[in-house]
Amino acid sequence: MVLLLQKEQEVTASMNEQPVMVFKDVVKVYPLPSGDVTALGGVSFQVDRGEFISVMGPSGSGKSTLLNLMGCLDTPTSGDIYISGTRTVDMSDKELTEVRRDRIGFIFQYFNLFPLLNIIENVTFPMMLKSKKEVDPEKGRAALRSVQLDDSLFTHTPTEISGGQQQRVAIARALINDPDILLLDEPTGNLDSKTGAGIMELMSELNRKGTTIIMVTHDPNIAKYSRRTIHIADGMIVE
Amino acid sequence: MIFWEIAKRNIKIHMLRSSLAMLGIVIGVVAIASMGILGNSLVLTVSDSLRTVGDSVIVTPHVGGMGGFGGGQGASSLSITEQNFQQIKRVSAPNIAIPVLQNADRMKLGVGGDDIVAPIYGLNPDDVPNLLTLKEGGYSRGDSGCLVGSTFANDNNVKVGSRIAIGTDGNKGTLRVTGIIEERGMAFDVSTDYAIVVTKNWFDQAYNRNDYDKVIVKVKNLDDLPIVKTAIENQMNKRDKIVDVVDTRKTMETLFQAFGQITAFVSAIGGISMLVAGVSILNIMMMSVTERIKEIGIMRSIGAQRKEVMSMFLYEALILGVVGSVIGGAMSLLGGYVISSVLIQTTKYLFVPSSLIYIVYGMSFGIVISLICGIYPAWRAAQLNPIDALRHE
Repeated sequence: MVLLLQKEQEVTASMNEQPVMVFKDVVKVYPLPSGDVTALGGVSFQVDRGEFISVMGPSGSGKSTLLNLMGCLDTPTSGDIYISGTRTVDMSDKELTEVRRDRIGFIFQYFNLFPLLNIIENVTFPMMLKSKKEVDPEKGRAALRSVQLDDSLFTHTPTEISGGQQQRVAIARALINDPDILLLDEPTGNLDSKTGAGIMELMSELNRKGTTIIMVTHDPNIAKYSRRTIHIADGMIVE
Repeated sequence: MIFWEIAKRNIKIHMLRSSLAMLGIVIGVVAIASMGILGNSLVLTVSDSLRTVGDSVIVTPHVGGMGGFGGGQGASSLSITEQNFQQIKRVSAPNIAIPVLQNADRMKLGVGGDDIVAPIYGLNPDDVPNLLTLKEGGYSRGDSGCLVGSTFANDNNVKVGSRIAIGTDGNKGTLRVTGIIEERGMAFDVSTDYAIVVTKNWFDQAYNRNDYDKVIVKVKNLDDLPIVKTAIENQMNKRDKIVDVVDTRKTMETLFQAFGQITAFVSAIGGISMLVAGVSILNIMMMSVTERIKEIGIMRSIGAQRKEVMSMFLYEALILGVVGSVIGGAMSLLGGYVISSVLIQTTKYLFVPSSLIYIVYGMSFGIVISLICGIYPAWRAAQLNPIDALRHE
């Protein structure tokens, strides 16, 4: 019995120790009529559970391509990508969609909430995608409270609340399916500095509680909230 | 269910254009259903006036042939001889063969009345009950009595007991009306509504006849109609074609088939408006997809499968189709009522299954067209690359 318990603890520990994301020699080439464009030229890195990483680089450096590959929105030309130990490069569109739904939480610069749905429905949308049925709105309310959104706003539509509040809703939506990793694309790019700082404080708090975060930004002040920075230039990691 | 909800809300926020697309479906359903109802009502109207004639085989002298019957008479004087009638009677047994004489003559009703011309049928008194039903009076047994059709009686104010002088100045004699025949409509055998029916004896004497104009064989078992027809043809037309034999049920079937084709054709014209409505649905669905490319990108990026995106747009097309078709179905009833009232002067054929089925056809076509026209935009939406869709402004 003791042995069994030990074994179980070892398995759990090994899962927790497994990197959330691994990139191995990832190359992404876009074939264009005027000639192939190499957006990423052999990128390798690893993201461990609980990390808060920012990816920085100038415009055209390959940040967006990297983000798309990390978010399973695209597949590499060559190389390997693992999300929580699962190889994703050979997955079908359906399988990649399931990975995005179950393991990745997206937070966009422009919030990208659904204007036809109210706040609660926006937050519970990924849950409904996963369960294929109606979900308990109480879970959505709890997620919204965890990002410090006032209860009185829950039945409003996205256009009726401020940008900062919309981004909090987007964060709650990203967290609702307990993803392995949060992917942030310029999360404060559309907010004033004070609201942006509030959002970043929230992200730091989530990270302290164990959420793994990768943030793509060009703003060094925002990058300061992360604990590690990956610099990218001309499709290569330079640091 | 969330995709159903999104589809509903998208229709609501674009109520004007959704309503216009639905209006197209409404018009399409109304066009198909109203045309169908009108066509079917016409068929029912005609079939009502052709009733009671679907159980007979009618034998008439062959009009197209040369010579033939009655010892080489010309086509204008063709008739069926007693001998031929006996042959027909024998091969038709046990079904009843009724010989019919017919003519038209002047007649005068009452003293000082105007001369009118009407058809006169000559029948054996024993055969009359097998062929005609009376609504008033009784069958005439003697040669001085006659029966009149109901329209004849109404138009000329003839009652049981009235007297009718036949021939110019009544030179053929005067007959007393013993009964009024129930309305039969236009028939293949005898059309008695505006005619008088006399005994064969009186007819023979008045018009110097000893042969017949046609023979009606009343077939008891309708399945035997083609058998009786073939038997008569085989017997009578062995060497030369001397009689024409018509199976009235077959003729009616052919007639109704032709009416059915006309109805289908007219409904198909209505169907064109439905196709136009379908193009309108396709158009607004394409607009909907174009407007919501970014939304589709967000959905796909956070885990919506292609088929789920597709379902959202198909739901939208389905809602437009179902709502448009239901409204169209209701308006078709109204339209059918108005058209029937105006064109056929009766709505009794509207609420019968064979008419109402056209509303079902119209509604089904509306829903199917909407769905078909929604497939391509929905497919386009599902095939969007999430990265490109997310970048879309």
